[in-house]
Amino acid sequence: MKLFSLIENEVIKMISKKRLMFVLAILVVLISVFAYGQKQTLERTKAQLSQRMGITATDDWRKLADQQLIDMKNRLESPYRDEKDKSSLLVRMEQLQYNLDHNLNPLEQSAAKFSTKFMEQAIFLFLPLLIIMLAADMVSGESSSGTIKLLLVRNVPRWKILLSKYLTLIILEVIVLFFAFVLSVIISGFFFGFGGWFAPIATGFKVLAGKLDTSSVFNVPQWQYSLMVYSLAYFVAVVVGSISFMISILVKSTAASIGIIMSTLVAGNFISFFLTDWKITRYMFMVNLRLTDYLSGSFQPIEGMTMLFSITVLLGWTIASVIISFVYFTKQDILV
Amino acid sequence: MPQTAVLELTNLKKTIKGKEIVKGVNLTLYPSQIFGFLGPNGAGKTTTIRMIVGLIKPTEGSVTICGYSVAHDFVKALSNVGCIIESPDMYKYLTGMENLLQFAAMNKTVSQQRIKDVVEMVGLQHRVNDKVSTYSLGMRQRLGIAQAILARPKLLILDEPTNGLDPAGMTEFRNLIRKLAYEDGMSVFVSSHLLLEIQQMCDMVSIIKQGRVIKTANVQDILHDDWIEWQLNDPEQAIAILRNHWNIEALQLKKNTIRACLSQHPLDKINDQFIREGLALTYCSAKQNTLEDLFLDLTEGDEIV
Repeated sequence: MKLFSLIENEVIKMISKKRLMFVLAILVVLISVFAYGQKQTLERTKAQLSQRMGITATDDWRKLADQQLIDMKNRLESPYRDEKDKSSLLVRMEQLQYNLDHNLNPLEQSAAKFSTKFMEQAIFLFLPLLIIMLAADMVSGESSSGTIKLLLVRNVPRWKILLSKYLTLIILEVIVLFFAFVLSVIISGFFFGFGGWFAPIATGFKVLAGKLDTSSVFNVPQWQYSLMVYSLAYFVAVVVGSISFMISILVKSTAASIGIIMSTLVAGNFISFFLTDWKITRYMFMVNLRLTDYLSGSFQPIEGMTMLFSITVLLGWTIASVIISFVYFTKQDILV
Repeated sequence: MPQTAVLELTNLKKTIKGKEIVKGVNLTLYPSQIFGFLGPNGAGKTTTIRMIVGLIKPTEGSVTICGYSVAHDFVKALSNVGCIIESPDMYKYLTGMENLLQFAAMNKTVSQQRIKDVVEMVGLQHRVNDKVSTYSLGMRQRLGIAQAILARPKLLILDEPTNGLDPAGMTEFRNLIRKLAYEDGMSVFVSSHLLLEIQQMCDMVSIIKQGRVIKTANVQDILHDDWIEWQLNDPEQAIAILRNHWNIEALQLKKNTIRACLSQHPLDKINDQFIREGLALTYCSAKQNTLEDLFLDLTEGDEIV
């Protein structure tokens, strides 16, 4: 299989260039800082709580939880509840019950919580930046060093060369996501312990008529939720990777293509703050990257934007990028 | 000749950004031939070579390698080619050996033994496990040749191959090229702006200027050919007459001077025609052994187009 040898070649180059190592090193540093920060915040919160509410011993949270549970039960039985509140109350009660059954302080962090939260925060800027660092160099790096000439005068058609590069990128994205997960579990595990994988977590939020609808909320175990978050993150990585890949083919300079996509991403953050009423912005890929917010219900509801909508928009960008990449790459004159 | 051509260029043209850089090049290269492609900088040598290996698409005309069209049968055509284009760019972050392994992986016919042999052939065996970023230009050039001949191509294309080689390296390189052509049967297409290099290495030479091949001949013959120099009042018309009626490409040297190589064409009849067409002929002389003169004129007098 020639394609396999080509992919092997690309992986060897990527490893020798040490770019992947660099990306992983950034991950280690950032996760460590983030985990340490979480630890500090947690301790401060605990201190505040014990000041305000007089909870000193670690066991005392149970009393509070019991109290809340009874309170919620009463509210649930009240005849004036409407359906929406009911389901979110039920979900909240289930979570508290789990905490009591397993003697888990709901305030405490865990490796499972942390690794999921980390990716939820990383998905719209930090993860794309890591992917851009890898993707933007794959073709333009060869153009600027002139080695593209060596690659394209073999008895291999151009589309196959490009396909091997694209598939290598897909593989690298898996590696980055895998390491992001493993590193965040290991590093945060030292701070918070390695457990927490079966704790229930709420999902199933919907946006109805511009409002967050909690009527269909339900609990899933944390591991399942993490899996969903990381799957969505992988999808985002593929999207951003494909777009960077295309830009690096069109621009032919690594620095320029990294600059273009980074500024686009940052501009995307601006747009989602300031231009929400301008309808066309929702078709931009940068505005649709926060897919995990649909899971956690922390999305600022914008009329007409749903998980399905965002995924469709991103898919459209990906397919267009891949098509443009292949058409341009196989037709262009190599003048470097 | 009855042999099948290894490389055939037919009316090859290329226009880049509205500027015609190659203006209809015709060439044929036979097995075991060392073919020089001589021309000043900017004459269109590299553009022609890039079209041969499919890096750029011709605006017009076709390239055929061992009977396969580069445009329609890219993979089969390029299976017969090894090349260095312009400069030997290698992956600097890999070692020489890792570079060769990259290219070997793209061609199933290359064995470990072949890689070893090629490394010895180009004299890189002591440095092949060092990173290419530590190589001198000469060593990169050797590595470039190694990757080009790795898969035993029928056609070896070398664009300015002796850049960066010292005199000893050049002699070594010439011997290697001769050995590849005469013992292994490769055809070699060498571009250069150095006359001496072509004279010492090649069997055939094509001289290219401003995108046009002005002369293709056996290197030995061309040195003894008759070159005629005319001084006349309208050189453009004279060049047109020579091209249209006699199929001769002439060159304008100075304001009123043109020069052309006449192989069997009768000078008296050409002169007759010039006069009949109303040209005022002031001077006409034969020059001998003038390849060097001609080439100096080519490389100096003109601006690069």
